[in-house]
Amino acid sequence: MIDNFLAGTYALFGDPVTIGIFLFGVIGGMLFGAIPGVSMLTLAAILLPFTAGLEPAQGVMLFAVLYCTGTYGGAITAILFNIPGSPENAPTSFDGYPMTQQGKAGKAVGAAVLCSAIGGVSSALVMMAATEPLANWAIRNIGPPEIFALVFFGLAVASSVGARTIWKGWMSVLIGLLIATIGQDPVGGINRYNFGYIDLAAGIAFVPAILGFFAVSEIFVQAEKKATGKYNAPKVSMSFPSFLELWRHKLAVLRSILVGFFCGILPGIGATLAAFMGYGEAVRWSKNKDEFGKGKLEGVISSETANNAATGAAMIPLLALGLPGGALTAMMVAVFQMHDLQPGPLVFMLSPDLIWIVFAAMFWANLSILIIGVIETKTILNLLKIPFQFLAPLILMLATVGAYSGRGLVLDVMVMFIAGILGYVLRRSGFSIPGIVLGLILGKIGEQNFAQGMQMVHYDLGTYFSRPICTILIVAGVLTLGTSAYRAFASHKKPV
Amino acid sequence: MNKLFGTTLVSMLFTAGTSYAAECVRPEASFDKPGGFPERALTMVVPYGPAGGSGQVAAAMAEAVTELTGVAINRDHKPGGSGTVGMTAYMASPADGYNVLEHIDDASSAHALDSSMPNPASDLIPLVTSQVTFSQIYIRTNETRYTDWPSFVEWVKAQDGKATIANVSKEGSMERVTMRFITEATGMTIQQISFDKGAPRYGALLGGQVDALFEQPGDVRNFLDAGQFKPILTIFDERPDVFAETPTHREMGMDFDPLLRFRGFFVHADAPADRVEWLKWAFQRGYCEDSYQAFNESKFMTVIDSYRDTEGSQELITQTIGQYRDVYKAMGLDVK
Repeated sequence: MIDNFLAGTYALFGDPVTIGIFLFGVIGGMLFGAIPGVSMLTLAAILLPFTAGLEPAQGVMLFAVLYCTGTYGGAITAILFNIPGSPENAPTSFDGYPMTQQGKAGKAVGAAVLCSAIGGVSSALVMMAATEPLANWAIRNIGPPEIFALVFFGLAVASSVGARTIWKGWMSVLIGLLIATIGQDPVGGINRYNFGYIDLAAGIAFVPAILGFFAVSEIFVQAEKKATGKYNAPKVSMSFPSFLELWRHKLAVLRSILVGFFCGILPGIGATLAAFMGYGEAVRWSKNKDEFGKGKLEGVISSETANNAATGAAMIPLLALGLPGGALTAMMVAVFQMHDLQPGPLVFMLSPDLIWIVFAAMFWANLSILIIGVIETKTILNLLKIPFQFLAPLILMLATVGAYSGRGLVLDVMVMFIAGILGYVLRRSGFSIPGIVLGLILGKIGEQNFAQGMQMVHYDLGTYFSRPICTILIVAGVLTLGTSAYRAFASHKKPV
Repeated sequence: MNKLFGTTLVSMLFTAGTSYAAECVRPEASFDKPGGFPERALTMVVPYGPAGGSGQVAAAMAEAVTELTGVAINRDHKPGGSGTVGMTAYMASPADGYNVLEHIDDASSAHALDSSMPNPASDLIPLVTSQVTFSQIYIRTNETRYTDWPSFVEWVKAQDGKATIANVSKEGSMERVTMRFITEATGMTIQQISFDKGAPRYGALLGGQVDALFEQPGDVRNFLDAGQFKPILTIFDERPDVFAETPTHREMGMDFDPLLRFRGFFVHADAPADRVEWLKWAFQRGYCEDSYQAFNESKFMTVIDSYRDTEGSQELITQTIGQYRDVYKAMGLDVK
């Protein structure tokens, strides 16, 4: 393995053109990942036709690098402005933005940079060591019932994040789940809650909803403070987290690597579920659950480690089995095909050089997040010095462009503003915005897999529980729900 | 054995794959621009995401037309609602010839179910149909419980409704309708598991989560090349050369007209006629470009005749709508 890795590294950095493509991917991924609406997918779609003119290894490597750095890029705007660049960065803003408001933006961004690199590098190392056996294990043991159980397990802790009471936390998750049911049902294709409006048949898109709930509602909150004279500009702090601070979170990092890797390896799931599950597990295992959603460093660490840990893992089913884990890896299939190659078992036999250049590039791309991220952060933190009256319209404009550009639908802009108003009202009432977003994103994934799972077990719940992984996760989720309800009663928290 | 199957199949593909690719039915190498049209980039509305089959065919055709004419084409992806979101957005766009649409047979089945939805053959003008393909039933190559169609049917019947097949079985879809034909003809009961994305669908068969897969050959070509999947039934009237060893549904005693999957390009019916003529030439000739032919070959789209001009497309669409409408009525669906 080491020989192959060194050979891949030599091939990567031994050719000036390949180095140029690598650097372009690193910087392009970070930039496009950071701008809401124009994610790494946008850049990848633009670049796709041009990869035909590249060597096969260069083309595939470029997309792999974009995937690593683009997944990290959205963390910066999530932390500084409450605008996640893409859904997989949404949990980062749960605690990252409150940290910015508390004058700890440097710590949050520093932790995101370091943990993205750690998550990505770890994932790349496991990918190099065990691609084929892991891919085969995953497809044989994890089907729709297990994915649903995983989502249920993740949702069980979502009520603990950011709400004034546990009951409002649960209500928040249920609101998210309800929003997730808008549009065609994922199995039968039957329209629900679209009121005859065809654009709603596609459901509520994640990006506009996230932009509304986070960015727009935050602008309303800050504007209210400004108007009532309670506004305090966030302090700009360049202090990065100390080694000791990060060392204290070593277990959270390790847990998120495992969670992120597990989610990434599942075909069709990818980094979004990884980030939410990583965050959820941090909450589950914490002694101070109430601190999440209010500026806890562990929240940023967990989601950013997990989403980057999913990048290397997502390459495993792609390269070993030809199964892409998401839109970007699906585009990588097209890059392979443009060069008369097919990802899957044969590519290991027919093009081992290509595989090891890609592996090496992903390893170095994740490491480069550390170097370029630190330099970038020192510059970008200064954006916080812009006065609110100038920053707010800029954020609103960026968010509007981001909401519209995904599908080119005015509906998405409307959804963003409605979510913004709803988010503002619900926040004032003590509901949890992270809970709603968790419900929305995990709800869509969970419902689809639940329905598919029920079809697979012929609508017999008993058969559902005959699958060991599924049973363990569901029982653990029920226990979590029961424990949180018991704690709420025991501490005499009254339902509101 | 797996590798042998894969290698043999690949070599057969390259032999047979060019059968329908060689001749270009649109002879004019150039076509005068009517009144300077187009003076700017065209917009192509694609009702699906960039990474799927539609996204890829849209990219390949846009590249071919741009190579041919020098006119840029911006792709505007509007996924969702089984193509209805993109169709609605397209119908609301100006009918000036600058806006074209990519769509698949879903548009025909949607109109068959609800006639208020646009009829692609009359409310739009088909510029070209550039992909036509058939479906097959696949099993794992290393499957031992059944090895061919007769043994599969026998095994499914013995499972008393517990056997499973992965497809996209949304209400009224081509997959669900075809599976209805098959189950009625064979008397077997099989649970259809609907996966809307390809990767989990193929992973479900590879990992043994389901017993069989309903799919088109181009979408699973890498699994066929790798010797992981094996077709046991071709749902087409004759055996394509590439799948000479796989029986057709008619040979297996199922007497129904196969529903085809097709993808093509359209323009508003009320777009200026001279512009429509230029667009017809550009897209029909684009089909002949080397880059597009290479793309189609990589997708198994040269196994049967994938090309239909405007009239051919209208005929295909009209016939398809009639087929779906009859089936929907027979299924008891509310045909409007």
